[in-house]
Amino acid sequence: MFTPEDMSKVLVVAPKDQIEAVVKKLYSLNLFHIEDYVEQEEEGYEGYRIGMPLPHGSDTSRELLKLRAVTNAIAVQADDVSQKERIASSRLRSRIEQDLPSVEEEVESLLNRRSRLEAEAKEIEQVIETLSPFANVAVDLDLLRGYDNLAVFAGYINAKPDLDVPHEVLTASSKSGNLLILWVSAGYRNEAERALLDAQFQAVPIPDESGMAQDRVHYYKGKLSDVEKEIEGVNHALDSLKEKHQGFLVACDELLSTDAEMAEAPLRFATTDNAFLAEGWIPGKDVHTFIEGMSVATGGRAFATELAIDMEKDVIPVEYDNTSFAKPTEFLMDIYSRPKYTEIDPTLMVSIIFPIFFGLILGDVAYGLLVLALALGLRKVITGDEGQMLLKILRNAGISSIIFGFLFSEFLGFGIPGIEPLLPNRHLSIGHGGGHGPAVPELMMMTVWIGILHITLGRIFGIVNHARQDHGKHRTLAVLANVGWLLVMYGILIAILSMFALPLMPDLTGWPAVMAGLTMPAFIGLGMLIVGVLFIVRDSALEIVELPTILSHVLSYARIVGVGLSSVAIAGVVNLIAIGMLIEPQLEHLTAFGVVIIIVGAVVFIIGHILNTILGMLGGGLQSMRLHYVEFFTKFYKGGGKKYDPFGMIKKFSED
Amino acid sequence: MADMTLEMVQASQAGMKALGAAIAVGATGIATGIAEMSIGSAAVGATAENKDIFGLALLFVVIPETIVIFGLVVALLLLF
Repeated sequence: MFTPEDMSKVLVVAPKDQIEAVVKKLYSLNLFHIEDYVEQEEEGYEGYRIGMPLPHGSDTSRELLKLRAVTNAIAVQADDVSQKERIASSRLRSRIEQDLPSVEEEVESLLNRRSRLEAEAKEIEQVIETLSPFANVAVDLDLLRGYDNLAVFAGYINAKPDLDVPHEVLTASSKSGNLLILWVSAGYRNEAERALLDAQFQAVPIPDESGMAQDRVHYYKGKLSDVEKEIEGVNHALDSLKEKHQGFLVACDELLSTDAEMAEAPLRFATTDNAFLAEGWIPGKDVHTFIEGMSVATGGRAFATELAIDMEKDVIPVEYDNTSFAKPTEFLMDIYSRPKYTEIDPTLMVSIIFPIFFGLILGDVAYGLLVLALALGLRKVITGDEGQMLLKILRNAGISSIIFGFLFSEFLGFGIPGIEPLLPNRHLSIGHGGGHGPAVPELMMMTVWIGILHITLGRIFGIVNHARQDHGKHRTLAVLANVGWLLVMYGILIAILSMFALPLMPDLTGWPAVMAGLTMPAFIGLGMLIVGVLFIVRDSALEIVELPTILSHVLSYARIVGVGLSSVAIAGVVNLIAIGMLIEPQLEHLTAFGVVIIIVGAVVFIIGHILNTILGMLGGGLQSMRLHYVEFFTKFYKGGGKKYDPFGMIKKFSED
Repeated sequence: MADMTLEMVQASQAGMKALGAAIAVGATGIATGIAEMSIGSAAVGATAENKDIFGLALLFVVIPETIVIFGLVVALLLLF
């Protein structure tokens, strides 16, 4: 529960002709975390080389590449497919040979047709573009080109060109400017060009068409819409193909991916001329089944054995071992870092304490219900393992908020009639005046206690971790240093309590002064502080600079009250604006206009509380996480464990 | 000053307390914002390079939050 899954290191050795059988078995077991073989020059490793992929590997990869090209083009995604029944591998394999090429061909020919049509549409659009300047010209386009002795210019112009050679001009104005068409004798071409240039002439190409421009545009537009209709038809055909074959395609993808993965596995093994070795990790409880399975799969020709673990050198993969209640919280752990194999896995503690902190911050029955409804409602929408884990965390947080809502007696920022808050009062007297307001000192002391207990738990975990991981003299020093931190924290607490009486804390001020005005508890506290500092310094003198964090980390838990009160305050303000300022005054003398104001008030009420719930979820979630990551984990947790990633795959669409 | 009544003195004391609380929260909030500004941009950049360090990056970003929490503690103690 507090340690990761027990792992064993195993070695599989077999002759090369068994490699396929071994790989297949390893894949179907889905247990073996392969330790990649790296070629090295060290003693004892001479003669080993990295293995070659299985012979069918390159064919499979090619097949997969082709399949992926098709599935990408028609946007088939495994997540969108809900397969009712799985296809048997053998049937799928024969269908891959028979049906897949025809499906691929069909898709490819449709895709080719679509790209041809798209190119055609683009061409037509270009022609329309060249024609459009001439749409208002009442001259046959044939008259604009094909002369031996005449030069024709067409283009936009602002002023009339100053031309003193014989010429003919036609102008047509449209939205894009004044179009000018100019005919001159070929001999005067240069003069005409110069004159046009002076008049800031912008030439447009003369279209290679005959007939009236307007008619031609009309004709091409018709053609374009035909082509577009055809493209739509092709898209429709692709969609129906996708609809028809996507289950088959994702199953093919799955099967080919597993084939490709299996074919490449030998690249991670060490081989000699006649044999190969695979080293890896499996959960300790599965060693027996694994060794037996290997021997059965190869007819006794593969040798599998458990190896001794070298704690110094081996990087042992980590798999969580948690109860189903704590499982979703592994998501929060992985965001920070997976625990190392040798250290305490605090997932269970986090899964209990995180919702408590969240509930203490949000602490409102209505908001808790909203969060709970959100977590349950999104279950169908958000698929994927991580999303589901997050929703379960949110669900627990919502339940905890409801419980703390009753303990604080809060519903949408109002008190719950008939229920006295069991925890210190958080009700703010917004708008109504009077009332005694929140019990801030008690709330503060409550969070200080939470902080002290949480940090004590962290330090105890730290002691266990050091006792487990370290050796010799360093182990004693490290354990004592953690005890030292605890002594300093409680020493400061006792010393403070001996001077000031604080709510929710034992009163130690009544003791008679012993010396220099200091009482017995004060001396005990100071003594603990000094001994604690000595323990810390013996382990590492530099840690002294960290001493102030004792105070800052404990006080940091005050955020539970701070963020919580601010959410109560926002709820109170929303209630004041919506009910106190908008709805209530109108209810006294109801008018038609008043009804509108009441509706506005209701909208403000709903939006305000929804926004506050979202803010509370963000605040409650992030601040609780931070209290774990910064204040709790820094006391004992290192992390950086390697994820246990067994060779194999859970098949969704095909089965053996 | 001499003609101030007791009520006026009490009221101005309450006002000063409120002002003090406001400064405590406001100034520490600005300070936290300034501190988180550069940490945050660096953290986002680092996370873009390597997604695995998101947890650590978040941790770095929220460290200065302690400043504003202290401000809040002081303000709450002043007011209540």
